[in-house]
Amino acid sequence: MPGFLKEFFNRNGTGMGLTILLLVLFWTIGLIILPQLSMLDFSFRPNLPPPEIGGPKDVYTLENYQYLVYGPEGGSQDYNSVDLRVFFRTLIAAVCVTIFNLILCYPIAYYLGQSKGNHIRIFAMMLIIPYWINEILRAFALRIIFGETGVLNTIFVGLGIWDTPFDFIRNDIALYAGLGYAYILLMIFPIYNVIESLDHNQIEAARDLGAPWWRIHWRVVIPYAKPGISSGCTMVFMLSAGALAAPQILGGPSSLWFTQLIYQQFNDNNDWPQGAAYAIVLLVTCILFVLAMMRLFKVNMGDIGK
Amino acid sequence: MNMSFLRLSIWVYLAIFFAYLLGPLVIMSVTAFNSSAFPRMTPWECLTFQWFAELFQDQRILNGIKNSLIIGAGTVVLSVAMGLAGALMLTQVWPKLRATYYTIIIAPILIPGVVLGISTLVFWDRINRMLGLGADSVLSNGIFLTVIGQSTFIASYCMLVLVARLQRYDIALTEAALDLGATHAQAFRKILLPFMRPAIASAAVLAFLASFENYNTTTFTFGEYPTLTIELAQKVRYGITPAISALAFIIVALTVFFALLNEAKLKRQELVAAARQKATVEELAGKVRLPSFFAGNMAAVLLVVFAVATITVVGTATAYNPQQCIANVKEQKRLEAEQRIQELRKQREEQRKQREAQEAEQGAAQPATPRPSNNSGFGNVFAPNSLGNDGNESDDATPETDDAPAGNGGFGGVFDPNSLQGGD
Repeated sequence: MPGFLKEFFNRNGTGMGLTILLLVLFWTIGLIILPQLSMLDFSFRPNLPPPEIGGPKDVYTLENYQYLVYGPEGGSQDYNSVDLRVFFRTLIAAVCVTIFNLILCYPIAYYLGQSKGNHIRIFAMMLIIPYWINEILRAFALRIIFGETGVLNTIFVGLGIWDTPFDFIRNDIALYAGLGYAYILLMIFPIYNVIESLDHNQIEAARDLGAPWWRIHWRVVIPYAKPGISSGCTMVFMLSAGALAAPQILGGPSSLWFTQLIYQQFNDNNDWPQGAAYAIVLLVTCILFVLAMMRLFKVNMGDIGK
Repeated sequence: MNMSFLRLSIWVYLAIFFAYLLGPLVIMSVTAFNSSAFPRMTPWECLTFQWFAELFQDQRILNGIKNSLIIGAGTVVLSVAMGLAGALMLTQVWPKLRATYYTIIIAPILIPGVVLGISTLVFWDRINRMLGLGADSVLSNGIFLTVIGQSTFIASYCMLVLVARLQRYDIALTEAALDLGATHAQAFRKILLPFMRPAIASAAVLAFLASFENYNTTTFTFGEYPTLTIELAQKVRYGITPAISALAFIIVALTVFFALLNEAKLKRQELVAAARQKATVEELAGKVRLPSFFAGNMAAVLLVVFAVATITVVGTATAYNPQQCIANVKEQKRLEAEQRIQELRKQREEQRKQREAQEAEQGAAQPATPRPSNNSGFGNVFAPNSLGNDGNESDDATPETDDAPAGNGGFGGVFDPNSLQGGD
């Protein structure tokens, strides 16, 4: 038994130590690592009916990944332009939602973090309440607002600003508003946590030295809040790229989200390996993108999630 | 930049921000009381509570709530246990492993829920096959898979909540208990667990809420046990009714209620603590007066107002009967429809008249050429005039009556055979 384990059992007792160890191992290995590896393995296999699994046809293949890039074999097009377009559109839209949320939330987080008083607690409560409401219901609420006979169209047509109802859903405005709405809290809280610990004297000092307000933010607050901003952006990006409910409810009929393709592969086409391959592509691309952004903005991995 | 302008713009910004955040919820709640069959706020038809009745008769919703509660309970137990073990392990893991370990247990928060659902489904399906079990075994049961899949990432949330409190724990307390002869299990149960209780409670609440509202993971794992969220999603995707608004209103009301309750309790604790610091011994010996619960406690006042409002609404709902109003709206709609039908009929009539006039003109023009002296030929000269009036003015009844005498006066006088005779 290695020294580390011996010490661990000495400290916690055999029974307690064993319980802790088993729970942690079950979680990390049984629930996190093995399922991901299993999915990775699965994505390299052909789609076979259950009796043939483990048979001679069950060999490793790249066909699921090739399908994403080149489309069905013998297809008329050189590339699988439909799926690829959906994939890149999802990534670009997720980036846009993240930037929108950052711009929207930074002033609020700064205000909440730097001002004192009783009303801050009420604001915090008002921030948290929408987050306790079901994700589906939040999307549903936006659909009532953005629908063809929804509140916005009724108001604007009633005021005579537009002649005909504007189709927010087909133009994906409802979708972006919904995605931004869903993850506001995840952007505000990390930034708020960091800015709250910023000594107000630093801002005062910058102001006394004659810096205009935008330079105070650019040179003092934002560099200080960088860990919070990066973890907020990471979470919002990952979650909106992996969102399923909002695109299903608010997305236009002609525009799909990549997760919807995965969902279709699993539920409609019954092609699990294909779905697993798409999921792997999404996961790996998102992680690589986040790592690249962190390298670009010189943020350490350790700062995230603090 | 002017300071007061900056202050004003901050308030405007806050107002817009919170309107974006809370407006949809308010609008959705309001639509639950409108009798329109499509959830909408305008046009307002009638105040009604029928959607609540409809909601409570919906078997699928009720079944979904039951499944959600079962799955939520399972997820709370499993993820709080794993989160606590994970947090304890994090405080004493070998330093070189620490960063890797932390990355692994924090990763599920960032992995898309869809991916977690798929990996859970694929992995346990494979285990199930390896063990040679059938499709109806425990391992492919929807409840089991959903609990496992949700716990994967909810345990990470719990771990974060628990580790924050665990860092303030003085390990010397456990050591003292061990020195005094307690076993490790006793020290855990009697010393560490009571210290961790507030954090465990908030982790449990967080876990339950996260489980209750989860969609992305559950949609792959639920099998034959759809949760409330799944049922809602299916309803919303294939046609929306105000019954969903009614459910949303109930959830919003419950959320606001518990948030206020929690806030009032915290505020009261603060006030009591502040009073203790200032109070003398005699004052402390006396009972805490009841009204002090409200003194300087906005949340408590709001809570009471909220409770009274709820009771009033429920009271009205039992006594209120919107049938009359609904009948009125129906009647109004019927009248509108009738009016529209009549307008349509009128339009048709006009078109028919026009067509007849045209036909008559054409019919008249052909026989008119061989017999130019015929009276009927002159009479039809007026037809083009009335046709022109039809095209220019929408209501044809008045111009016709106006034109007819004028036309008679203009042409009739000249061409009238009698007047010719009179001229002789």
